[in-house]
Amino acid sequence: MKDLSGAPETLVELTEISDQPGPYCMSFRFDLDPLKRSIDKFGLIHRPLVIENGNYKKEAVIGFRRVLALKSLKWDRAPMKVLSGDELSPSDLLLLNLYDNLSSRPFNDVEKGMILNRLKPHFSGEEILKEYMPLLGLPSNESTRILYEKLEELDMALRTSCADGDLSLKTIKALLEMDPDSRATLFQWIKDLKLNFNQQMLFIENTLDISNTEATSILQVLQEKPLLNIREDQNLNNPQKAKRSLSYLRRRRFPLLTRSEETFEKTISSLGLPERVRISHPPFFENPDYRLEILFRDGKMLEETVKKLAQLNDLEGIGDPWDEES
Amino acid sequence: MTNPPLKRVLVEEGADRFPSVSRILKRIEGIPVERVSDRKKEKMSGPLNMDKTSLRLISFPGEFLKPCPGTKGYICCGYQILNVGTNCPFDCSYCILQAYFNQPSLRIFVNLEEKLHQIAEVLDRHPDRIFRIGTGEFTDSLALDPIAGWSHVLIPFISERNNAILELKTKTNQVEGLFSFPQRNRIVISWSLNSPSIASREEHGAPGIRKRLEAAKMCQQEGYNIGFHFDPLVHIPGWEEEYKRTFEMMDKLIDPNGIVWLSMGGLRYMPALKAIVRKRHPKSRILVGEFVPGLDGKMRYFKPIRIQMYGFMAEMLRKWHEDLGLYLCMESHDVWEKSLGWSPKNSEGLSHFLDRRAVKFFG
Repeated sequence: MKDLSGAPETLVELTEISDQPGPYCMSFRFDLDPLKRSIDKFGLIHRPLVIENGNYKKEAVIGFRRVLALKSLKWDRAPMKVLSGDELSPSDLLLLNLYDNLSSRPFNDVEKGMILNRLKPHFSGEEILKEYMPLLGLPSNESTRILYEKLEELDMALRTSCADGDLSLKTIKALLEMDPDSRATLFQWIKDLKLNFNQQMLFIENTLDISNTEATSILQVLQEKPLLNIREDQNLNNPQKAKRSLSYLRRRRFPLLTRSEETFEKTISSLGLPERVRISHPPFFENPDYRLEILFRDGKMLEETVKKLAQLNDLEGIGDPWDEES
Repeated sequence: MTNPPLKRVLVEEGADRFPSVSRILKRIEGIPVERVSDRKKEKMSGPLNMDKTSLRLISFPGEFLKPCPGTKGYICCGYQILNVGTNCPFDCSYCILQAYFNQPSLRIFVNLEEKLHQIAEVLDRHPDRIFRIGTGEFTDSLALDPIAGWSHVLIPFISERNNAILELKTKTNQVEGLFSFPQRNRIVISWSLNSPSIASREEHGAPGIRKRLEAAKMCQQEGYNIGFHFDPLVHIPGWEEEYKRTFEMMDKLIDPNGIVWLSMGGLRYMPALKAIVRKRHPKSRILVGEFVPGLDGKMRYFKPIRIQMYGFMAEMLRKWHEDLGLYLCMESHDVWEKSLGWSPKNSEGLSHFLDRRAVKFFG
């Protein structure tokens, strides 16, 4: 590739440069203020590289953000390196920008997707998987590549949340597999309730499962009155709303399991267990063994607790809660 | 016989030297054949495309006979899996193979005959043990048999041994090919059964329940002993009535005295299968139900649901015939106790139970 370190600088009118992200741009969701402050204080330290373009007069190859910052600071012109259209191939220009960015900052997920999309016309799938995905810190597999490429298709709000790290990739993947209306509605719930990554997937999975089980739409599930009431309850803060919404969906999704858990808890609390004693059921009641925990500080305390336990009348009532119900 | 709609045959490097390849190619004359050297290039492009219109002929480098790995925390029957090929022409929505294999196509291992001596060595090393061997774990035992000719190799081989049983597990109804063999001894032809609606909605391409049972009847008339596997049992609204329809058909068509064993297993799946089912079978109802993580990490119905299903099935089946060799596949001691009223307690106990069934039928 051509060595551009000695490329001459020209004073370029900023109006000649497009302020739309062009084919080499790999920036999304950035804060211009720190850059503006730096330029304001120390001037333009690193010169953008622009190329003559047929549609616009010039297109930023490297330094798109600096161009935007300069425009925002009302500069009229700035010194830049200018390439004529035929000096480098589009793929070289793309790589130039990619390596320049790689050396100076991390990419967010949306930007990684933009890069993969821009590499696609110039490089084979094999090359992208083997060379460029590791460069972006991504595992070299097809499904990851496809997922990242799709991120650019998301609407702005979703892309923004993704770039900001508010949504997990698992969540994004699940949302991408839905119709646009369901996706938008679910995203709004996730955003409103400020669900963490784990909660996001629970919310989505349970909603999807209820919709599948009852052959109803996702939108209908999310319009159920009790769920809407939780979201609109002024007396609840966001973590409380999140917890209650998830609990509501879980109860809907697993009616027998939640009923069994409640029956078990009721049985245990009615026993009047001594202090520092706990009886719990195995996860999902799958293992047949229940667990007894006793906290004690010395043998005397243990002896007293065991005696109290032995005096309880209803221990025999502990068992699989569905047996109790039937 | 079932003819999968094949569009091409891929003969992998190293497979050509086995005589079964020319026999197989003769059976499917007219279908374009390609010689392929590099398996990697043919990897599945994603779980959506299982490429069931391609048949691959492969020299399998691994061991053909392996014990079923069982699963942590549950009672296993001690089965031996004879791995003769992978994938099958049917496209059941719940098929675990959708998540198991990262390689597409229907696959036949063409070096089975050449490996028989290794299997014989294993059997001969343990003359006092009974090997219950099945080919239906990673493929349908009979769906590709008209092409692969597995039964031609295996039925005579197993029939003359005293310590092995061969189970051919299938969903097909075209069993006439089996009647050309003189041997019947130590062979169990078994069918995967379900409710008629699950069969028609979820077992794409497979014959319906009546056809399977008619095939079982034909096999009984031809002197074969048979088995049935209600696996996976699917818990959807109205499931009791649905399964009753299958029992009614069994009652009309099958002589229960000729049933070596009958297993039941609730639907279970690796978590990764869920997304694949949603994509490949968006209309499927199999994900309906309260699935929880099992002790082995697979998703399975919440325990009381399983107990209820097995209990109901067992009651109905026992009303029909008391001695069916009824057993549960991959279930825990307490589920056995609560649903069937007894338990083999552990995998060894279940193995003994099924070995006794084998001895009862075949000596």
